[in-house]
Amino acid sequence: MKIWALLAIAVGLVYGALVVAGAAPADTAQSLIQGSLGSAKALEGTMKHFTPLLIAGVAVFFALRAGLFNIGVEGQFTVGALVCAVVALRMPGWLGLIAGILAAAVAGALWAYPAGWIKAMRGGHEVISTIMLNNIAGQLSTAAVAGPFKDPNQQGTTTASIDPALMLPSIWQDPRISAALLVAVLFVIGIWRWLGRTVPGYELQAAGANPRAATLAGIDAPKVTIRAMAISGAIGGIAGALQVVAYEGRFFAGFSSGYGFDALGVALLAGSNPLILFPSAALFAILAKGSTTIQVMNGVPKGISFVILGLLIVIFAAIRYRKVPVKES
Amino acid sequence: MSLAVQMRGIGKSFGAVRALDDVHLEVEAGTIHALVGENGAGKTTLMRILYGAIHATDGTFEVKGQPAKFRNSAGAIRAGIGMVSQHYSIIPDLTCLDNLMLGAEPGWTIDKRAAEQRATELAQRMGFEFDWSAEASTLSPAGAQKLEILKLLWRKAEIMILDEPTAMLSPADSDALYGSLKQLVADGATVIVVTHRLPEVMQHCRDVTVLRGGKFITAKPVAETNPAELAELIVGHAMPPPSVRSVPDNAEDLLRVVNLTVAGHRGDDAVKSATFSLHKGEVVGIAGVDGSGQRELFQALMGTSKLRHGELILGNWSLHEHSIAERLRMGLRLIPEDRHEEGVVEVWSLELNAALGLQRFPPLAVGTIVNDEARHQAANEMARRFNTKHGGIRQPMASLSGGNQQRFVAGRALFLTPRLILAFQPARGLDIDATRHVYEGIYEECEKGAGALVVSFDLDELLQFCDRIIVMNGGVVTQPNSRDRAVIGRHMVGVAS
Repeated sequence: MKIWALLAIAVGLVYGALVVAGAAPADTAQSLIQGSLGSAKALEGTMKHFTPLLIAGVAVFFALRAGLFNIGVEGQFTVGALVCAVVALRMPGWLGLIAGILAAAVAGALWAYPAGWIKAMRGGHEVISTIMLNNIAGQLSTAAVAGPFKDPNQQGTTTASIDPALMLPSIWQDPRISAALLVAVLFVIGIWRWLGRTVPGYELQAAGANPRAATLAGIDAPKVTIRAMAISGAIGGIAGALQVVAYEGRFFAGFSSGYGFDALGVALLAGSNPLILFPSAALFAILAKGSTTIQVMNGVPKGISFVILGLLIVIFAAIRYRKVPVKES
Repeated sequence: MSLAVQMRGIGKSFGAVRALDDVHLEVEAGTIHALVGENGAGKTTLMRILYGAIHATDGTFEVKGQPAKFRNSAGAIRAGIGMVSQHYSIIPDLTCLDNLMLGAEPGWTIDKRAAEQRATELAQRMGFEFDWSAEASTLSPAGAQKLEILKLLWRKAEIMILDEPTAMLSPADSDALYGSLKQLVADGATVIVVTHRLPEVMQHCRDVTVLRGGKFITAKPVAETNPAELAELIVGHAMPPPSVRSVPDNAEDLLRVVNLTVAGHRGDDAVKSATFSLHKGEVVGIAGVDGSGQRELFQALMGTSKLRHGELILGNWSLHEHSIAERLRMGLRLIPEDRHEEGVVEVWSLELNAALGLQRFPPLAVGTIVNDEARHQAANEMARRFNTKHGGIRQPMASLSGGNQQRFVAGRALFLTPRLILAFQPARGLDIDATRHVYEGIYEECEKGAGALVVSFDLDELLQFCDRIIVMNGGVVTQPNSRDRAVIGRHMVGVAS
């Protein structure tokens, strides 16, 4: 029911936005779908967006369940990607691949940890601290690939490239779909089961929803908060690592095209149900890929996709967080 | 004899719920009129209609003989009606004078000196004394209640509605309050007191109106009724005789509190070298006015605040050396003061809330895996125990009224064989029958070897239900050797001996 409501809003907004932009809605919607899902190549491009959005979405979602708004996934994604590329390039073969992903998880966790600690121990808001950590991550990683980790054989600020033979394999050819998708799906299902079925998952959500009641229920709320932030960061780091080992093969300045930020929208649309991360990430991916096509084919500016997503999130938030009338006692 | 207030055929619906139906109220000018009934009988709703805070669905009313129809409370205030609600509306960070004037400032600019002079005159008329420049946070509950009454006088109210004015006061402060009210009435004011304390009605009020289930039951002069009859009118059936309990005198100690000192939030000692014990099978009531250290005592027992000094021994186990989680495992169960903030997660379903605090214990968990089936059953059982009214256990906790949340939280606290029950105002928001049921539930667990500590600001409730009463005053625990109301009352204000 919720998904259908969402879909209805989405369709309405797409049409509305296109009319405003002065294009024929039906034609434009057709090229949007054609450009994102209509061919093997289109689908391949959409998947390339879908996978990181989904994992980064899990990272944001997980933190939200613990009552934390982790805007820092962008930074954790960047740090994870950098560390993964550096480690993978310095270790031989498959070992490098695995070590790179693990190192990225650790790096992402460490990058998120201060925000969790400040929130739990000092009451400093995680939104502020993670935004600052994002900026630090962006500048530091650029410095890193301009300096110590720069590939001397190349002009640009980038690391060397991983041997394509040692990258994450595909699970499907034509359209080529990377095993990263499998990892992403496993993450969603894993988080879904963990939150719904385990005592630590229950306690994490209790600490997120009402820390005082959680404390009286024997839950160490500050510890849970710090841990949840670190795990969210680790997932964000893995999202960055997979982008390196599945698609890019290297890290370069300006690596993330804002997946960490789009993931906020992906997770918000999912509400409290992790399985809705799938359609939510798909919507973002389709709009990201398809908007390029409509710009070329219909002359509709690419930015229209951001307008649509922005409106969607505002409407969704207005519905979801509407004030519930207080009961007369 | 003229009527100050006459309400006729008042009805009020909240959605499908009929909160009031054809209710009448006649209050004679210059009297103290008691409006009595159980929680949920509609007393406060009726008074909020009179005060213009909400609008009646049906019916009309007259104030001082004039037909009245208030658009909002400002209209009621202009007509000379004032109301003090159960939860004081005093802002702790403002001075007493600022609180007094708030919303009724004399003009666009404030002449503090003139204002303070008028405030002092008003206070003197009532026999009150205030340090007007002190922050309101320094006021005792009785002082806050006095300030609320002065706020009404400041607004020139002639008809005053007081909702449960003595809920937070000691017996001595309550008597003093009624003394002031009688003086006001002698000066021509009219007072309507919403209360559930029958001794007050019998002692201080001239007429009484009884509501039950949103319906008008009767109105009569207090002189023509008695407490037993009133109680029966309020509940709608004869009161069963109080259950007889016998606690063996020689029962072993369950809990020993030894020389306990706990810090308050201002850094002072909120509990001062308290020493007392609780026997197995015993229900001990802790009497005292609000803010006497009861809260901090419970925090120390639960483990949310550290001890400055002393020991807490449960059985042969040093409670104070263990985490909250371990204390819960040892059988500590809390019915918290603030169920919204401390007892439940309001956005969660009843089913999810059923496990809160018990989430690690079988059968609700098998190892670290949640047992859905058991949790579902537990939620049903907890809701059934004290007749929680709900629209399905998958509905969010926020959909329940406060009283029903309290029933559920009490049911949960008694669910998994508690050993030490800590109940802070367990009757809050409950009607007389439900209150008795909750205490009977506590008795049941006590017969199986548990013990219970109950904090209430209602001394009559403790006298009715507890095996023994200890008193807290300014952080000091005393143990009156009598169950006499007056003796305990003196302990509560620290003039015993």
